[in-house]
Amino acid sequence: MRVVIAEDLALLREGLVALLRENDIEVVAQVEDAPALLRAIAGHEPDLAIVDVRLPPTFRDEGLLAAIEARRRQPALSVLVLSQYVETAYASELIGDDSAGIGYLLKERVGDVKAFLDALHRVAAGGTVVDRQVIAQLLAPRDGSSEALSDLTARERDVLALMAEGRSNTAIAESLVVTPGAVEKHITNIFAKLDLPVCDDDHRRVLAVLAYLRVSG
Amino acid sequence: MSQPARPSIELSPAGSASRRRFMPALAAGLSIGQYIRSLERRLAFLTAALLAGIWALDGQGYFWPAWAWLGLGVLVLIESGAGWAWARPAGAVRRVACVWTIVGVAAVILVCTWLLTWLLAGAKSFWPAWALLGLATSGSAYSLVALHDRVLVAYGRRALRARIDMLTRTRRQAVDAQAAELRRIERDLHDGVQARLVALTLQLGRAELRVEDQPDVRQLILDAQREAHTAIAELRDLARGIVPPLLADRGLVAAVESLAARYGLGTSIEADTHRSLAPAVESAAYFVIAEALTNSVKHAHAQRTWVQLKDEYRELAVLVGDDGRGGADPQGAGLAGLRARVEALDGSLRVHSSTGAGTVLEARLPCG
Repeated sequence: MRVVIAEDLALLREGLVALLRENDIEVVAQVEDAPALLRAIAGHEPDLAIVDVRLPPTFRDEGLLAAIEARRRQPALSVLVLSQYVETAYASELIGDDSAGIGYLLKERVGDVKAFLDALHRVAAGGTVVDRQVIAQLLAPRDGSSEALSDLTARERDVLALMAEGRSNTAIAESLVVTPGAVEKHITNIFAKLDLPVCDDDHRRVLAVLAYLRVSG
Repeated sequence: MSQPARPSIELSPAGSASRRRFMPALAAGLSIGQYIRSLERRLAFLTAALLAGIWALDGQGYFWPAWAWLGLGVLVLIESGAGWAWARPAGAVRRVACVWTIVGVAAVILVCTWLLTWLLAGAKSFWPAWALLGLATSGSAYSLVALHDRVLVAYGRRALRARIDMLTRTRRQAVDAQAAELRRIERDLHDGVQARLVALTLQLGRAELRVEDQPDVRQLILDAQREAHTAIAELRDLARGIVPPLLADRGLVAAVESLAARYGLGTSIEADTHRSLAPAVESAAYFVIAEALTNSVKHAHAQRTWVQLKDEYRELAVLVGDDGRGGADPQGAGLAGLRARVEALDGSLRVHSSTGAGTVLEARLPCG
């Protein structure tokens, strides 16, 4: 796997580079700002870009905009965006209408090295990873949110959250310590209760669930 | 035209009016006093003409009617001057006007007397000079003494206005500087301290992978990592309380949209603002909207809310409304805090909330 990293804090950037190299991931370029990121992507044609949302010079959302622009230029590129804070609007913009090969995580998730590397591989392989805080925000009980959502059982809500994060059935089963068969049954129930179109594809499923949560939100 | 008649016409507006209307003056609405005054003037004019006629018939010679003209003119002048002075507001100003009338009449007598002696007898030096100077000096001195308090008040008012202008300006600068400083702190927390803590957790994570065979060391590392995660979460909450990051990164409209989405109410947002807002104005508007939406959900049990942002002349109008049960207390702690925030920007905050008719919060924020 060939990776480009855009992160302005040298300490963190170098830590990431070291981590990836230790795990046999090739870092082809490391840059500090958005224009350099777009140049590196055009020049190196990596499989994956890891991008910090806030980059110089204004430290606003340059990284996010650059990631979206990079995807527009090279739709095959996978992008993992790291953010200091979660914002559902950012997740929506990043995913757009194609969630394949998109990741949006809180920055500190890099500390859980195994889970972070797992997410990295899933995104690079065309999967979708959405931070659980985004899902928590979308699932948080609110006045005016859909009644169908409150019909879900606690276990079904857990499964829905993991689905929205982009986990596969097997991963969900492992995480909840149940059998894959039980997970499938929960998913069928969720889709029936929320009246969602059934699809097998993991990232399409994420899209459907996120779209549902956004609309009902 | 005879010399004495002129000053009376110049000095008294009633004089020129009466001259135009002539006899039907009373019918035209002049007061008795004004009518008598106009009659007087005509009498003076006639007398002057009569004396000139007598002088012409009497074989001419030394032009003595000039002295009579001076006397008549002075009478008319005194009458006009007194009328003018009496029309001033009572008190010091009227007293000063009386003094200047006396000074003026005396000066006219002096100058005219000199003029006549010069014309009729060929006087050489301008002998009234010192007397005129004395008159002017005493008039000025009296005015200064009588009006000094007014002069001081006017000066004081000007000084106060300048002070108010200065305080308004510096207060706004202080509020703007504070808002800019808060944004800088938010950025420093997120991009400085928090980023370093993230780098720390990453290093701890890499270390943990290397000691998987030493459970006690690994546990220490995991504990350290958990502490770092707690610190990061606390920093994020702290930074969010200072300035919501989306407000700092994308401005008011994006932040309000995100806010409304988080509340999950059917909030319609109508944003018609195109000016670039100062951080202080942006933050105040944001917190007004956040507080209003919180109240709509928590207290008013509203089904629908709406937010309106409008550019108006030199101010931003922020309106937040709901269809809840109304009856909000404008003196409540939340609204009082908002009012203080808005008033620090010289803005105003109004609450329209009658029981059962929903609530509308209206903030007006000056934008310089």
